[in-house]
Amino acid sequence: MDKNNIKIHVEGLTKDFGDNHVLRGIDIDIHAGEVVCVIGPSGSGKSTFLRCLNRLEEATSGTITIDGASITDPKADVDKIRQHVGMVFQQFNLFPHYTVKQNIMFAPVELKLKSKEEAAATAERLLARVGLAEKIDAKPRSLSGGQQQRVAIARALAMDPDIMLFDEPTSALDPEMVGEVLDVMRELAQQGMTMVVVTHEMGFAREVADRVIFVDEGVIQEEGTPAEVMGNPQNPRTKSFLSKVL
Amino acid sequence: MDPTTLVNTLVAAWPLLWTGLQMTLFVTVVSLVVAMPLGVVTCLMNLSKFRALRGIAKFYIWLIRGTPMLVQGFYIYLAMPQLIQATIAPDFRIDVVTASVVTLILNAGAYASEIFRGAIQSVPDGQTEASRSLGVSHFKTMQKIVIPQAVRICLPSLVNQCIITLKDSTIMYAIGLPEIMNQAKVYVGRTFDSLATYTWVAVIFLIIISVLMIVSSQLEKRMRA
Repeated sequence: MDKNNIKIHVEGLTKDFGDNHVLRGIDIDIHAGEVVCVIGPSGSGKSTFLRCLNRLEEATSGTITIDGASITDPKADVDKIRQHVGMVFQQFNLFPHYTVKQNIMFAPVELKLKSKEEAAATAERLLARVGLAEKIDAKPRSLSGGQQQRVAIARALAMDPDIMLFDEPTSALDPEMVGEVLDVMRELAQQGMTMVVVTHEMGFAREVADRVIFVDEGVIQEEGTPAEVMGNPQNPRTKSFLSKVL
Repeated sequence: MDPTTLVNTLVAAWPLLWTGLQMTLFVTVVSLVVAMPLGVVTCLMNLSKFRALRGIAKFYIWLIRGTPMLVQGFYIYLAMPQLIQATIAPDFRIDVVTASVVTLILNAGAYASEIFRGAIQSVPDGQTEASRSLGVSHFKTMQKIVIPQAVRICLPSLVNQCIITLKDSTIMYAIGLPEIMNQAKVYVGRTFDSLATYTWVAVIFLIIISVLMIVSSQLEKRMRA
């Protein structure tokens, strides 16, 4: 891939929580349209890595550049950068005092990017896309976990992001609801969205990812195509991890 | 105590009790109206990133929680005026209504600020993160996502604080505020009719507070819905 379409550039990223060195130096370039799945044992730092990408966690050192703009720069306009980087959380985090429609309209309207009418039309279109058109006026608590997560994806898409971050999007779901969320993500990947997905869904990673990175002890231990990393791992840590989860 | 005596006492004592009740309600309502914004400001100071603001808020809350209201009332009505007269204003006077209202405001403000703080902190971090990850500012996130949820959480506790302030206003009896207990005492002083008179005082409080409790439980129900 050529250098001109690098969407995310990470160099020397470290993150300490007190004496706990969670990230010990991560370097990676992620290109436009690429789907990168981040796998690794719990506590390996993979979620922290993802949360550093939109500065929900402050990096201890290193630089992260999103579309050419440094988000680790103390003077960075973080809100501006985040508008182009959608995020989906393990716990969905829908706003319980808003309806599904209001959840999706909230950011575009508050940030004056869309009129109420435009935002409402977008909400309808996105809900149809995630298969929840009939839930537009429902409150989040009346939805199943899988439905809530699909609404959360629609809420992130309402900002027209060109990067989407997924932080274990199916880990809090009952098994029978995992599929519906992965289907939406698969479709998004096919449409060319740049995606970074922290996941335990090895089947999804194998099928959808362009690149799999295996993180352990705060560094990228191994990376490559799913066939390389998952089919023929070289690093003993990767082998050991995959033998437990596959 | 037969019913006729009870009713007769109410009729006879009512002019005094009504005057006292009006004073009780007046100081309670005025105090709460001022205490709520004071509580919001104190809470925001307490959650501020500036250490000095946090320090002021914590000191104020510590002072109020750490002293009995009766002592605060005496201090504000009797001790503090001496201090002010001796230092900045020799002619300083404070009337008993003002002193009572100030005491109740300082009390309810401190407790309300803790109620607000608990409510804001009980909104999950994920709510803030979801909003900030969409590019929405800290201020807008507080205004549109955190505070609306916190208000729902704390409404029942705030109604409870109103009940406490209403009841606490009777403590101002001790510095001579002509509230309902004081007026009841005047009536009993003339008639020695303690039983019926204080029964009516208790009943009057029970009626007002029952209404507030119904409001509180309705709010709680609506919150869960």
